[in-house]
Amino acid sequence: MAGQTGFAEEINCVRLNNVNRRLPNSVNHELSTLLRGETETLSAWSGRWDTRRFALHLAVIVFGAGLYGAAMGWWRDPQQAFYVAIKFPLIILLTTLGNALINAMLAPLLGLDIPFRQSFSAIVMGFTITAAILGAFSPLLAFMVWNAPAMTPGISTGPTYNLIKLTHVAVITFAGTMGNARLFQLLVKLGGNQTIALRVLCAWLAGNLFLGSQLSWILRPFIGLPSLPVEFLRPDAFHGNFYENVFNSLLRLLHYN
Amino acid sequence: MNENHPVPPVIPQADAPPRPPEPSPSLHDQRPLGDDPAERAPIPHVFAAIESLLRQPRRLMFQLRQPGAGKLTGAMLFAALVCSLVYGVVAGTFSGGAQLWAAPVKIAAGLMISAAICLPSLYIFTCLSGSQARLTEVCGLLAGLLMLMTILLVGFAPVVWIFSQSTGSLAWMGALHLIFWFVATLFGVRFLKAGFSHSSAKSHAGVNVWIIIFLLVAVQMTTALRPILGTSETFFPAEKQFFLGHWGDCLKQSAGESKTDSRD
Repeated sequence: MAGQTGFAEEINCVRLNNVNRRLPNSVNHELSTLLRGETETLSAWSGRWDTRRFALHLAVIVFGAGLYGAAMGWWRDPQQAFYVAIKFPLIILLTTLGNALINAMLAPLLGLDIPFRQSFSAIVMGFTITAAILGAFSPLLAFMVWNAPAMTPGISTGPTYNLIKLTHVAVITFAGTMGNARLFQLLVKLGGNQTIALRVLCAWLAGNLFLGSQLSWILRPFIGLPSLPVEFLRPDAFHGNFYENVFNSLLRLLHYN
Repeated sequence: MNENHPVPPVIPQADAPPRPPEPSPSLHDQRPLGDDPAERAPIPHVFAAIESLLRQPRRLMFQLRQPGAGKLTGAMLFAALVCSLVYGVVAGTFSGGAQLWAAPVKIAAGLMISAAICLPSLYIFTCLSGSQARLTEVCGLLAGLLMLMTILLVGFAPVVWIFSQSTGSLAWMGALHLIFWFVATLFGVRFLKAGFSHSSAKSHAGVNVWIIIFLLVAVQMTTALRPILGTSETFFPAEKQFFLGHWGDCLKQSAGESKTDSRD
């Protein structure tokens, strides 16, 4: 028996040494694991709370989304770039926090019995993937903005403004889709059932889109307009909401009034 | 054990992922309640009741059939009361001032009165449908519905607060509260129906009719106790109205404001 214990300890020492050797590259390793969507590892991560890992995910969200935000606002003004670099990660973090409770309640009700911590980390991981993709695209967007003509009063009606806007929509859609696709794979792994995973993902998505749209509305402007001053929040940020605005626009479009 | 040929020991997996959770029995699992030993574990306090309602609803249903279930029902009603007060405070932040205490009082009272008004008809409908559920079990299931509704509303509260701070439109906020209330009620009703499916009921028609009655009573209660979101000089409304008429008035008022805004 003593021989067995000694053998096991030796093997464990080797394993620990291997883990320690990986540490210098752990940031890189963790990011690539996230992006590859290695569900075995991701489900293990979501099951155990690790403050260091959470801080890393938080840092990726802040830097990734922040860099993308900076590239977005740069066209209008460097100060606008600074503001959007703060606002972009803020939307992600506030959406995650604002919906954390309801998302954690909806998961077991829809058939995925995971604790609050696990649902929270799964959502954070999804957003981390999205933010990492956004961060990776930020140099491309910055290059595009650098090549674009300066923002002048008439530019918002021209093709450049629309091209840049559409590029942002395409990049954000791609990043969001990838983040959610990975989240879906993780949910399938956690729940062992595609139907349940899809149900939970749709419920989370609906809630996050609902709150995220409103937060984006409050925290506008992002690209900015030359006719309006550079500011962190519009003076009417807390007057009205996104859906009300869409509804009123629809009414005007249909000549209701 | 042969010391010369030791069997290789089982090596603990240092970084092994935990097993995925065992799939918990579904809400609509038709096995008899208490079939799983975990369902027979007593529910000692209100937090365990909340946890069970979200993760092990069958455990709660089983416990509601045991002697002394009244204490559990009381705990669930208490949780529903507290959660509805919390949600009410958040709803009250839309107008602020006196609504910070009036809205929670009205929401909590409205919910409890609606449940009390509907309880007799629920019992009658369950008996008519051939259910073997006793009155205490019916009370317990109704308390479960209220608790699930209100804890979900508390989950929605941060979203409500953000919208309350960013819009001045009463009609919009009313619609938002109704949507969240409807989603929460949907889950609550699902629990109630699952509970009745274990009571040998021959048909669900009676419970379905009762659900419509409960929805109508609760919605009318919001009109009877108005204003919950807006402000008024009196605590209760001076004029009696049905909810459809009240909603129509709110929409007309909102459309008028919207026209003025667009002209501005």
